[in-house]
Amino acid sequence: MNEALLTLGFAMVTASILALSAVAFTLQYAVTNVANVSHGEILTAGAYAAYLVHQRTGSAIAAAIAAALAGGLAALAMHSVVIGPFIRFGASPTIVFIATLGMSFVIQNVLVIFFGASNVAYSLDPGPPQHLGPFLLTPLDVEIIASAIAITFVLYLIISRTKFGKALRAVSQNRELARVTGINATRVAAATFFLAGLIAGYAGFVLAESVGSFNPYFGFGFFLITLTAAVAGGLGRAFGTMVGAVMVGIILEFAGGYVSASYNLAFAFAILAIVILVRPRGLFTSARRTVFE
Amino acid sequence: MSAYFISILTEGAIFGIMALGLNVIWGWSGDFDLAYYGYVAVGAYMTLLLTIGPPTAPAHYILGLQLPYPLAVVIAVITAMAVGLVVGLIALRHLRGIYFSIVTLGAVYVIYVVAGQYVPLVDGYNGLSGLFDPMGDWFGLDYQSYQYFLMGLCLVMFALVFILMWRISGSRFGMALRTLREDERAAAAFGRDIYRLKLKGYVLGAALAGFAGALFAAYLSAFNPSAWSPVGEVIALYAAVLVGGRGNIRGVVLGVLIMGLLVQESTRFLSMLPGVGQFNTQHPQILLALRGALIGLVLVLFLRFRPQGLLPERRFVDRQPVGEAAPAST
Amino acid sequence: MSDATPTPALEVRGLTKLFGGVRAVDDCSFVALSGQVTGLIGPNGAGKSTAIDLISGFKLPDAGTVTFKGAPIQGLPPHRISRMGLIRTFQSPREWGGLSVLENVIMARADLGRETFRRGVWGLALAQRATSARELIRAREILGEFGLHDLRNERAGNLSGGQKRLVEFARIRMAEPQLVILDEPMGGVNPVLGERMAVAIEGFIAAGTSVIVVEHNLPFVERVTDHVVVMAQGSVIAAGSFHSLRSNQAVIDAYLGEMVPK
Repeated sequence: MNEALLTLGFAMVTASILALSAVAFTLQYAVTNVANVSHGEILTAGAYAAYLVHQRTGSAIAAAIAAALAGGLAALAMHSVVIGPFIRFGASPTIVFIATLGMSFVIQNVLVIFFGASNVAYSLDPGPPQHLGPFLLTPLDVEIIASAIAITFVLYLIISRTKFGKALRAVSQNRELARVTGINATRVAAATFFLAGLIAGYAGFVLAESVGSFNPYFGFGFFLITLTAAVAGGLGRAFGTMVGAVMVGIILEFAGGYVSASYNLAFAFAILAIVILVRPRGLFTSARRTVFE
Repeated sequence: MSAYFISILTEGAIFGIMALGLNVIWGWSGDFDLAYYGYVAVGAYMTLLLTIGPPTAPAHYILGLQLPYPLAVVIAVITAMAVGLVVGLIALRHLRGIYFSIVTLGAVYVIYVVAGQYVPLVDGYNGLSGLFDPMGDWFGLDYQSYQYFLMGLCLVMFALVFILMWRISGSRFGMALRTLREDERAAAAFGRDIYRLKLKGYVLGAALAGFAGALFAAYLSAFNPSAWSPVGEVIALYAAVLVGGRGNIRGVVLGVLIMGLLVQESTRFLSMLPGVGQFNTQHPQILLALRGALIGLVLVLFLRFRPQGLLPERRFVDRQPVGEAAPAST
Repeated sequence: MSDATPTPALEVRGLTKLFGGVRAVDDCSFVALSGQVTGLIGPNGAGKSTAIDLISGFKLPDAGTVTFKGAPIQGLPPHRISRMGLIRTFQSPREWGGLSVLENVIMARADLGRETFRRGVWGLALAQRATSARELIRAREILGEFGLHDLRNERAGNLSGGQKRLVEFARIRMAEPQLVILDEPMGGVNPVLGERMAVAIEGFIAAGTSVIVVEHNLPFVERVTDHVVVMAQGSVIAAGSFHSLRSNQAVIDAYLGEMVPK
């Protein structure tokens, strides 16, 4: 029982990072109906920015802020340069999907050009592990989980209480209708991407130093797991995504105990495939239908 | 003929076969299949597993039956078809659009991870090697002449595959696949079993991928995870099909030529740019990365400005003069 | 036309479909006789299109039976129903845009024997050549009847809405089903084409294809139908000739109810 609780504790850290990444992805999907394959690169950008700033300043806080900003700018650029224009052009979701795949490839290679392809070591001192109830966590772990909860809460406030949040919900439900009521859908989408990028960039920073190292490709690998969480929760539904992330995080952590961690990705996809086949609209909707419904 | 030229032609023929197979799934059936290169890998791995000898420590792998190459190729193609069938049965049942693409991406990642990590299967990261000059000893060829032989073999195979695709393209089967792409509901309303038809197209594409993989194994004499990464150099293959013209087999071949040229010449051209040579010593990956970025850029630009590719799909043109066939009721 | 009582082409009994808590189709029952044009009308949201989806296999019913040519077809996949001789159109024209108009018509018949991979590769047999030549001639004939002969090599996706509808009709003529269900054929079409469509529908009947038409355009319904079924809120509320329904209070209420907010 103790083992299980320990693993659960570790899973909470993974789940926190995954939840942040997944909700950022879901936000992007909600306002544009596009599955952004370069989502992982937002995390990578955050990781690199954090590392560079940390090197210069020695401050983890500055690194975190830099990561968020870099992520926000990267996401904004993705929307302005590729995703937005493709949507305006009237391309089908699949075409935009392929375009973001191409963009992901370009970004990864550009990062290699500037930083080289090799791993960059990056870690913060986690502090001594302590017993918190039944769990064994380091202070750093606690900070990660706490920051994830805090960010989620702030996001919730933004979406439900602010004017921007209202516009966001309007655009995600019905773009055309939102336009008709005077909302500039493109601007709302751009702002949402920036917001999502802030979250994802921060997640990239946390993930990098959690794992201990990163390289230009590490975001893409995590993107695949993010996708699993997002689809499991139901693409476009923030609450479901959170729960999906927690579940996937827990499953992966427990599975990782039996099989080596490098199978993580394969596992994540096995889960994804099962979810999509059984409940394509996510685990929180009912779905019995023919392929045409 | 220089060795460089021979290798270009050989590789070109192999990629041409791959592109024609991808065209069946993406160009005709209309499904953006990210698992495609996985079937190439299955074909390559299987060919090696069947032709090389039993494993000697520290290498680990299954089979190692030392079968003659042509037999190994046949079995490899069947294996690729089987794997394609399994993935297709799952992915084509209910999924379309990005959901389909994501699941196929998952499938190829599973294949990649299992092949690269589960050592007992194909020796993990080391991969397999040792397929030297298959069928060379039948004809008593030395190393030099063998290169010509392999090139000729690949070109002939490519020509056969092209003819096959040309026949399919103009047949009812090919047109039926295209109706699925154009409007599935209408296709079902007019009697097509969508699931079955898509599966047929998918397995056909996987067969061609496996076949190309088998030839690729002979060309490389080896195969391991660094020879393929699910969404790495593979992008060039998708770019080729898109750039040339999805659905048009001549377009697809043109796309392979263009991307091939781009891939080859860009490295040469880029290394001549000022400053790049310096970078190259500091970061040896830089040329490959520049090339990769270029390929990605071409893909995105074409998607935006010319998604139908350079040679758009051809339709059957009825040249019977007007008035001859129309009955008097006009 | 014989004096014998026409047999039912299609019998629908107790058809029901729920979406969440909403009964989109609620115990719907009607009969469409063969050799006739049966209209299916009703206010928006009456469940007509859902009923068509259920009948043609594009949605699965929660209850009820559909009998076609004496056999139950509810729950069967759409392609099977189609091969049995029931073809439907959709609310928006669903031509195969990337194919030519002629190819659209040729592919209207699912010729399972000739659509195999094997035939795709070899296909040199004399029988196949002959059938495809005959098919080509028939396709051209049909296109001529619909005035589309000049457009036959045109990319179907490039045609106007009305022309696309005509291509759909040409496809139906080619396929020669026993029953065709037209889902709002006049939708988005220039009223001028109405007469042409009416003539085409008469052509279907003459060729032995019974017709069910779902339509909002009531003058068109009056023009083409022999018998009309009225749906509202998921069930059938009245059936009879168009003329008789005009003074049917239930029908009037249903349509008026649509205009007055509840």
